[in-house]
Amino acid sequence: MYARRISLSGIVFASAFLLQEAVFDQIKLPLGGFSFFLIVALCWAAFSTPEVGAISGFMAGFLMDLSPTSDGPIGQWTLILIVVGFGIAFLRYGDDSLRGNPLSLIVLVASAVVVSLLAYLVLGALLGLNLGTTFQVLKNIIGNGLWTLAIAPLVLPIVSRLHRAILDTRETL
Amino acid sequence: MRYGGDNRSRLLLVILIVTSLFLITLDLRGVAVMSGIRHGTQSALAPFQKAASTVFSPVGNFFSDVAHLGRTRTKMKSLEDDNAVLRDKLLQQKSLAIQLSQLKSTLDLAGTAGYEVVNAKVISQGSSASFTQTIIIDAGANAHLTRDMTVICGQGLVGVVKAVYPTTSLVMLASDPAFKIGVRVAGSQEIGILSGQGTNTGVLQLLDTQSSVKRGDVLLARGSQGDKPFVPGVPVGEILFVADSAGAVSQIAEVKYFAHLSALGVVAVVVKAPAADPRDSLVPKPPVPRPIPTVTIYATPSPSPSPSATAKK
Repeated sequence: MYARRISLSGIVFASAFLLQEAVFDQIKLPLGGFSFFLIVALCWAAFSTPEVGAISGFMAGFLMDLSPTSDGPIGQWTLILIVVGFGIAFLRYGDDSLRGNPLSLIVLVASAVVVSLLAYLVLGALLGLNLGTTFQVLKNIIGNGLWTLAIAPLVLPIVSRLHRAILDTRETL
Repeated sequence: MRYGGDNRSRLLLVILIVTSLFLITLDLRGVAVMSGIRHGTQSALAPFQKAASTVFSPVGNFFSDVAHLGRTRTKMKSLEDDNAVLRDKLLQQKSLAIQLSQLKSTLDLAGTAGYEVVNAKVISQGSSASFTQTIIIDAGANAHLTRDMTVICGQGLVGVVKAVYPTTSLVMLASDPAFKIGVRVAGSQEIGILSGQGTNTGVLQLLDTQSSVKRGDVLLARGSQGDKPFVPGVPVGEILFVADSAGAVSQIAEVKYFAHLSALGVVAVVVKAPAADPRDSLVPKPPVPRPIPTVTIYATPSPSPSPSATAKK
């Protein structure tokens, strides 16, 4: 049962990853656009328990590390999304005010996206990666946050239903 | 209810973090497996990316273009300006090619006759308000031009220099109503006076009452005393129409000028005539008729029904 859930979750992540790489990467949006895969992964983690959130973060982060457009070493996104996945699940799982409010969930996901990107930036700087100009980096991070606020309401209901179907959670939006 | 966590979840978190750190270390140390995984992922994604690119490439830049509409407009304006500059250059090149062709034919004509010429470019057509047929060329007294010099182009006579300025000259065209030139018919050597009439044709009046001309006869300049204003032998035009008038003292004909006086680009001013009259050497060669291929079609008549066959029916 546990292996089935993990493999089904993996299929969801792999599909979202494929969509991100094949479709969403083709569309050029102002302010750098958004990461569909990151939104799906963090929404998934937000609906999970902290342990599942961390495992989801590990799977999603590893897939993001495999992306040919990722310039960091393999493991960088994995490390970040483990912590952020655990954190978002921990915050939402333990806070009743967050659990029943979709708007707060959207804000939480958008904040998690911004935190993930900032963490990637800091970790990348520590590892000596060339990350571009400050203006460009700030524009991308702020743009990602704003786009996530716009896109997350569309993604959340789908992820919620998939999460309930696969992990058998009672909570839906 | 606040999630408190337990040792199991903490252990899981630590294992995952250590694993990710292990992956980072392996990749930073250049373990080939890690880069191989990334290459493998790209190979697997490539067909999907290509397929999606075919579908989404037309709309891929749409949102970006909408957002950068102002910038796109500026870029379009810049490209339009560049396009206009390139078009201008192309037109200039075409104009230069035409001028080069005109200069070549002018020099050919001058070289055949042995005229010493000064080349000049037409820089202005005469004003239509003045009712005269003139042009202004970019050579003047500084190029040793003087009044009453013959002006030619590749096809023949253009006109005569009427006024000279330091760097420019005013040329009266052969089509000017005040223009008159003594001409002779190539071959028969009949002589007459050709007058301009403001169009691309002139009027020839033969001096000898007994002489006659026919359509297609070529007229050449007779030449003036001291080669001014006209040098001998310059092709002028050909007879287009002969007016048959019983009461006329002498024969009159309409002449079409060889030179396209309304489309002059490069001309030459004859500054010195040859020692010997070129006679008929400058008569333009008649165009060689191109054979028209004939197509013969053999039609085989279909057998008509015989009366006996009809009767049998």
